[in-house]
Amino acid sequence: MFRLLVEKELREIIGTTKFAVTFGVCSVLILLAFYVGARNFQVSQAEYEAARAANIKQMEGLTEWTRIDHRIFLPPQPLATLVSGISNDIGRTTEMRTQGELRSENSRFNEDPIFAVFRFLDLEFIFSIVLSLFAILFAYDAINGEKERGTLRLSFANAVPRDKYILGKLVGAFLALAAPLLIPILVGCLMLPALGIPMNSGDWGRLAMVILSGYLYLGVFLTLSVFISALTEKSSTSFLLLLVVWIFAVLIIPRTAVLVAGRAVEVPSIDQVNYEKNRFMAQLWQEDREKMQSYSEDNPRSEDGDMQAWMEGFRKFMDELGTAREEKRREFGGRLNEDRRNREIVQQRLALGIARLSPTSVFSLASTDLAGTSLDLKQRYADAANLYQQTYAQFIREKTGQSGGFMITMRTGNEDEKPPEPIDPYEMPAFEFQEPSSNILVNEALLDVGLLMLFNIVFFIGAFVAFLRYDVR
Amino acid sequence: MEPSTHMPEPTGKPLLEAIDLTKRYEDGTLGLDHVSFSVAPGQVYAMLGGNGAGKTTTINLFLNFIEPTEGEARVAGIVTHKEPLQAKEKLAYVSENVLLYPNFTALQNLDFFARLGGKTNYTKDDYRRVLLRVGLQEEAHNRRLRGYSKGMRQKCGIAIAILKDAPAILLDEPTSGLDPKAAFEFIHLLESLREEGKAILMSTHDIFRAKEVADIVGIMNEGHLVMQRSHEDLVGEDLEKLYVEFMAGYMEEVA
Repeated sequence: MFRLLVEKELREIIGTTKFAVTFGVCSVLILLAFYVGARNFQVSQAEYEAARAANIKQMEGLTEWTRIDHRIFLPPQPLATLVSGISNDIGRTTEMRTQGELRSENSRFNEDPIFAVFRFLDLEFIFSIVLSLFAILFAYDAINGEKERGTLRLSFANAVPRDKYILGKLVGAFLALAAPLLIPILVGCLMLPALGIPMNSGDWGRLAMVILSGYLYLGVFLTLSVFISALTEKSSTSFLLLLVVWIFAVLIIPRTAVLVAGRAVEVPSIDQVNYEKNRFMAQLWQEDREKMQSYSEDNPRSEDGDMQAWMEGFRKFMDELGTAREEKRREFGGRLNEDRRNREIVQQRLALGIARLSPTSVFSLASTDLAGTSLDLKQRYADAANLYQQTYAQFIREKTGQSGGFMITMRTGNEDEKPPEPIDPYEMPAFEFQEPSSNILVNEALLDVGLLMLFNIVFFIGAFVAFLRYDVR
Repeated sequence: MEPSTHMPEPTGKPLLEAIDLTKRYEDGTLGLDHVSFSVAPGQVYAMLGGNGAGKTTTINLFLNFIEPTEGEARVAGIVTHKEPLQAKEKLAYVSENVLLYPNFTALQNLDFFARLGGKTNYTKDDYRRVLLRVGLQEEAHNRRLRGYSKGMRQKCGIAIAILKDAPAILLDEPTSGLDPKAAFEFIHLLESLREEGKAILMSTHDIFRAKEVADIVGIMNEGHLVMQRSHEDLVGEDLEKLYVEFMAGYMEEVA
């Protein structure tokens, strides 16, 4: 009987015009998302390679390491093609320095602001907005619609257990919505290697989990729709209620969460922090200028003295001064950054905690975690850049004998001397951004995948209990 | 109030029995008050009465859509609120104004409900035969029901009940939506079902059809069975007049 009920539900939904429209729209959107995502990745990859090559090229011909203008770049992530997350919002280029704080710039949205207005059409968007609405359209009248048609009375005039009936409805509705989506998703997956997206086994596994999370997310709206349909008498009422719930889940709760957290936990702006840092640096410079003045007075340069030796002494003095200043700056800046970061973490936790009331937020968090494009991407890139800065500083120190920052280059000699050899930029350590392992990313997503399951279970139980008490007359 | 009763001798063990059947709703409304009657195999019992008389409540109690406050509804001796699934295996039901599944064809609707009723070995030809028997033209069999008239859907509903081949049939305003010709054909259909030995309980507003086909006519008013007469007793009687008299008499008694 259960199979019969599932079959009926499937056939009833598949036979409708709304199903044909849904299937058509979803197929086009999903395939478009895969294609556009893959093309974007290709473009981003080409831009990334070109930027790296240009970075090396502009160093060619230089003869001094102190003069290089080195930049590092965040490589595009394969799964960002389907779940862009914050990958388009964060700066992908970082000017590398041996000292000082690193800043990332040139985000995709910064370069192409039009995309910031309308965002990208990716798989997460399609699931979050389009498919969730379709899930409601498929199931808003699951129970009360049957009552309105008189088929509920007719069905229960037979020896039909209610639990089997509701289970059949839920499974049938889920299959009717989920099965056809598999076709465009599978075609899209086949397109990825064909379009040159370098997917490894970990990426495929995580993509499978993104799709699973998407289905769980659809399950939330399906079970919720059946639940509300079993609580209301008229299908028009349940549709209206579900629309309100959808608006809250998709639009209101995530935004409100950020607003509430922003009010509750104050985080100083980057400008404020930078202002404090600049003020401190200005103070340090003032102190150092005085020390430099004292150095000149204490170590006067005699007319007939050894200029080379004096300069060497001055360079050493400046180097020590620079190192001490950098240490103070690092300590002060680090303290401010840490304080800001701690507040930011509290604010984010609060925002995400509230946002998780909405299944849409939960799905977004799960999918971006899995794709490696969550909020953590920014920090991971910053950490990788800071780590690279140390390697880079060490390399420059080895090459120049100076610790960086305020570097002095003195050259003495005569015209017969051989011109200096150009530097070899390829000697420089390469910046490699390592995405965390799939295990780590999956672990990060587990909480939200679990929450999606919980939503499903709660609404399923709700629908089940409501239907057991439902007046079928 | 005891109903005025002149009943034929039962022809077999009753398949449908209402025993002191009472239903008081949660808001205190009395839907049915100690109603008792029985329908034997090969009998048609017609319940007459206005809106709110208790006809549909009685049918709902037989279907266990609601539970009785007192008394029992029995189908083939099975108490419906105690063993509802077993009782429903013995019941077929035709509802008033059923829309069925509008995106299914008549054959698909029949197939689903037949299998839901436990009949898994029917063929399309069986479905076609029953549809023709209830008067649905062959050209309509493969059409989706969304284009059907009310009468055509009602015929489908009747076909579904016939396919279940249950010993007892409940009909809730079965001629509602049928044109006079279809209603006439339906009466013949009822007669043939009676000949097959089905016990039929029918609620209707149609006094003329009730007198024509019913072996027993019960008149209900405000949850009470105020009159019960056999077909033989009604021969030569003006049922419409009786109906009005009993309704008026009941109203006076209540007053």
